[in-house]
Amino acid sequence: MRRAVLIVLGLVWLFPTYLIVANAVRPAGDYDPSDAVKPPGSIGLFDNISEAWSRTDVGATLGSTAIYSLVAPALAVLFGALAGYAIVVLRVRFGFLWFIVIFAGTVVPFQMLLVPLFVGYSKVSLYDNQMGLVLVHTAISVPLAALVMRNFFGSVAVSIFEAARLDGASTFRIFWRIYLPLSSAALAAVFILEFTYVWNDLLFGLTLAQSDNVRPVWAELSALTTDVYAGTPVPVALAAGLVVSLPTVVLFLATQRLFTRGLTLAQF
Amino acid sequence: MTDQTTAVRAGTPHRRARGGPHRGGTGGRVPSGFAMHGRFRHAYLTPAVLFVAVLIYLPFLWTAYLSLTSYDGLGSPKFTGLDNYRRLFQDEALLTSVRNTLLWVAGTTILPVGLGLLVAVLSYNIKGGAWYRLPFLVPYAMSGAGLGLIWGFILQPDGMANQVLSFLGMPGGHTEFLQDGPRNTLAMIVVWAWQQLGVNMLLFVVGLQSIPRAPIEAARIDGASGWQLFRHVIWPLMRPLTTVVFGLALVASLKTFDIVWVMTQGGPGRTSETLAVTMYRQVFVADEYGYGSAIAVALTTVTGLASYVYLRHQLAREGS
Repeated sequence: MRRAVLIVLGLVWLFPTYLIVANAVRPAGDYDPSDAVKPPGSIGLFDNISEAWSRTDVGATLGSTAIYSLVAPALAVLFGALAGYAIVVLRVRFGFLWFIVIFAGTVVPFQMLLVPLFVGYSKVSLYDNQMGLVLVHTAISVPLAALVMRNFFGSVAVSIFEAARLDGASTFRIFWRIYLPLSSAALAAVFILEFTYVWNDLLFGLTLAQSDNVRPVWAELSALTTDVYAGTPVPVALAAGLVVSLPTVVLFLATQRLFTRGLTLAQF
Repeated sequence: MTDQTTAVRAGTPHRRARGGPHRGGTGGRVPSGFAMHGRFRHAYLTPAVLFVAVLIYLPFLWTAYLSLTSYDGLGSPKFTGLDNYRRLFQDEALLTSVRNTLLWVAGTTILPVGLGLLVAVLSYNIKGGAWYRLPFLVPYAMSGAGLGLIWGFILQPDGMANQVLSFLGMPGGHTEFLQDGPRNTLAMIVVWAWQQLGVNMLLFVVGLQSIPRAPIEAARIDGASGWQLFRHVIWPLMRPLTTVVFGLALVASLKTFDIVWVMTQGGPGRTSETLAVTMYRQVFVADEYGYGSAIAVALTTVTGLASYVYLRHQLAREGS
């Protein structure tokens, strides 16, 4: 009984996936909505992808999207680790208060940031500038990084720090040579999570950029459903959507174990 | 005397140094905060605090201020008091967008979370459970924008969805899924549920695996099984987790933007706008920065209130 329900539900869930994949693979010329259920007669996936590349600016936007989703999480993880180190290991005064100040950043809906960032960025020429997008993605990624790193550093024995200190190591050296390497699993888990967020971002891409070499990929692809790209064959759009989703899928599958381990260690 | 020798000679447990320099000391023999933890330890906090302050809190306050002004992005904002908020209550389009947002809240807390729980419970403790769960995980890989892009095409009037309905001989083969409200919102909620079930299911599976075995075994021995076992033993044990999962879905649903923007841009005729979409449209299409900011403030207030009320309610129940 349980199995039957699961199988039926599972098939219902798989069906749209099948529709999407079958029609992304189908040669654009063969597409006919009334025959969408039929398996594709021949493989047109790569033609569809190159068609998408020439119709839109996906190629150009992929480069900057990669920059945003690599640099911003890397910075955020580093800053979060530094803050966690200051609060847990160096025991700064009012450490918990500082932590709340940083972490409460996640509570703010992005809608509260759009107007000031748009207006402010225009004034300091960060609008339509890759630096501007890196900065904002770093800022919104910092709170989660600080949370996880604070929890993680809390589980590292204090005696390690004390021993290194007595050996004459500077606090920064201890951070860089001991605490960072120790926490590589947690760092990686946070990095991957935030990489996915930034890669999938639409809102900031739409609001803070307009030229092809600055706009991230989903801001560009979202235009495929509007009149701007009217007449794009369905298989081409589906293929583009699938290809751009691929990096995050592969990253997640490849690192799933690391991911669960990193977050378990951080007791998150 | 150097910092190190102080530390060595005192050899005091780390904890004593807590609370900053010159505390808990016996005549300066204890390592002070400076000696053990360095003179410039606040510097480590600086990047994180600076980024959050400049790029999150400052804009937050600015938006709060702009919501009291009339501003089109040119010149300087003109203070108009509560005018924008008065307008909120008279705006017909906003009414639609509030209704749609409520639909999103109801739909995305019931469908994906409820079905996720169902699949997690059904596939719990049966052979090959992971395989039964696989179909639900596949859609989760897609971003909100990607989902909108792909389903936008599927749900066109001449799209695949209608062809499939006709093919299966089901009624509604000519449904205009995205053309009328509130049907377009409901269609998008179903798409969202299709994607989100996977992650909710995973969270529940983790939760089920981590609940203690003993109470379940005890209940089994006492003759409980099936629904009874779930209702009276497993469900209460999973309570803390369901609180989190529902809470996350609730907060996320209030801010729904990506999928709607990509599939319908809130249209046609503003029928499928959510609060987040309306806010975006007022600012970046209608150039009404002040009014858009007021919507952002309203959205933030509602989100904050909802999370507060929900958490209080849940914590009170857990406490009792």
